Amino acid sequence: MTATLQVQIKLRLAADVRLAHADHAHTGFALDLAFETRAGINILFGPSGSGKTTTLRAIAGLATPDDGRIAHGSRVLFDSAARINLSIQARRIGFVFQDSALFPHLTAAQNVAYGLRQPEQRARHERVRELLALFNVEHAAARYPRELSGGEQQRVALARALAAQPDILLLDEPLSAVDAPTRTRLLDEIDTAQRADGIPFLYVTHNHAEAVRLGAHLILLHEGRVVQTGRPLDVFNSPQGALAVRAVGTENLFTGRVIEQRMTDGVTIVEVQGVQLEAAYHALPVGSLITVGVRAEDIIVARERLTQTSARNVLAGHVRAIMRLPEQTELLVNCGVEIKVSVTAGTINALDLREGAEVFLLIKARAVHVVS
Amino acid sequence: MIWSALKVSLLVVAVATVLTTALGLALAFLLARRDFRGRELLDAVLTMPLVLPPTVTGYYLIVLLGRRGLLGAPLYAWTGWTLTFTWQAAVVAATVVALPLMLKASRAAIESVEPKYELASYTLGKSEWATFWRVTLPLARRGVLAGIVLSAARALGEFGATLMIAGNIPGKTQTLPLAIFEAVVSGDDRRAQTLALLLTLVSVTAVYLTNRLSRAPRAHAA
Repeated sequence: MTATLQVQIKLRLAADVRLAHADHAHTGFALDLAFETRAGINILFGPSGSGKTTTLRAIAGLATPDDGRIAHGSRVLFDSAARINLSIQARRIGFVFQDSALFPHLTAAQNVAYGLRQPEQRARHERVRELLALFNVEHAAARYPRELSGGEQQRVALARALAAQPDILLLDEPLSAVDAPTRTRLLDEIDTAQRADGIPFLYVTHNHAEAVRLGAHLILLHEGRVVQTGRPLDVFNSPQGALAVRAVGTENLFTGRVIEQRMTDGVTIVEVQGVQLEAAYHALPVGSLITVGVRAEDIIVARERLTQTSARNVLAGHVRAIMRLPEQTELLVNCGVEIKVSVTAGTINALDLREGAEVFLLIKARAVHVVS
Repeated sequence: MIWSALKVSLLVVAVATVLTTALGLALAFLLARRDFRGRELLDAVLTMPLVLPPTVTGYYLIVLLGRRGLLGAPLYAWTGWTLTFTWQAAVVAATVVALPLMLKASRAAIESVEPKYELASYTLGKSEWATFWRVTLPLARRGVLAGIVLSAARALGEFGATLMIAGNIPGKTQTLPLAIFEAVVSGDDRRAQTLALLLTLVSVTAVYLTNRLSRAPRAHAA
């Protein structure tokens, strides 16, 4: 079995950075967190500025925490009390950078070969071919990084990182510079690679679809603290406390089943816990399990049932809770499923909304997007 | 006389360029990638020969390395050998005067390599030494080559400091610039002209090469 990575660190930001983040002034630490990874793909999720990348850098040894301990199984990588601080090289932790960081003077194959540990020429050659094939970029072997697309660059970077046989692979928003269709395929490849290699991955993202598609376990960060952990969908659908609500963002995610395809109307009907939702057409066989998302700010609230409307979904429900956060107000509406709706404070007064009030939610089919 | 001066110059330039390259690379890496107290002071001291009158640089070399110099005296007491008026002295003079050019070009070139490439190499298990040779240097190579060419040209043209510490001994320490000086002083215009043209040609070529190396920003094709 793979050993878990245990992280417990505190890290101060440089003084000038700290000024910009006045929130951290009360403890003086920008990062103050503890978590453990599970086998498979772990997601480090949070809004930008929550400390995801800094956490990854501290684990890899690219940044030094002020205090704490990082261990992989029984192997201690960093321990401020015991004055242990392994070099980047000795940690055996792979890192896939946001912008690939492929060596520009080496071809794709040479980049992958760079990380290899076996000395024998034939074996090296064979392994490079295998790794490029694992990510479907054999055709790019002889090309230089600047001749590769963004998606190909990240595939080569993934192959290069695995070539060095790390104990853990850290991925820092590897798909942020990749177009949407490529993203979907790359997610599959990352998943396959993790299963093939078996080492745990720690994957940083603030994208719900990536988190749900890949993650077995999610660690939710907010302003340098862990606010919740669990299965991605569980965390997203039932964030505990105001900090978690803010950290998960405004996405409603539902797992349901495709019950009907109306190709001529361009819609797919999805049933979620007895509620039928019309989503933009997505080519999936009837009966398949599917996760769909609706952003809280894409939903319109009405006090009476509208009939002549282009919104394909009109759901009746009642307000279960009103959450007032500094930057937004969120309604939690129960329509058979719980749906978050983002409104302005003015709307609450204008529509006389309070807990228990009956409301109708209007959602365009196009706003119901397929996550995985 | 032209031939003996050419021979001395070639020897001095060859050895000085090897020394400048090795010292310059090591120091440039230190200045570009290591944070230590007195870093900019070290840079300033090493750059001084670029702006000092060469005779002043030569004077300091005598104070440091002459028979009664700070380092020269113990060396003489120990080995009975002294640097002054040897071809090695001409090498030292050429190296000290050429080093700033190598240093400036290489430091800028190394600093222009994004640290993320080095960090990526470390995460792939490669030591700092291996990373320098396989990542940093190849990515900085244009600037480093420009530095080598410029400093070699400067070493070839070195006059003042060489005269101070190595003297002007035909066949031994008389380099091309010194031979020109002697030719002019003794009224041998033809020889002065030939030598001057030869050195001009070398200098123009060096500047041309340097410009070519530093212009095209980054062509990594094999």
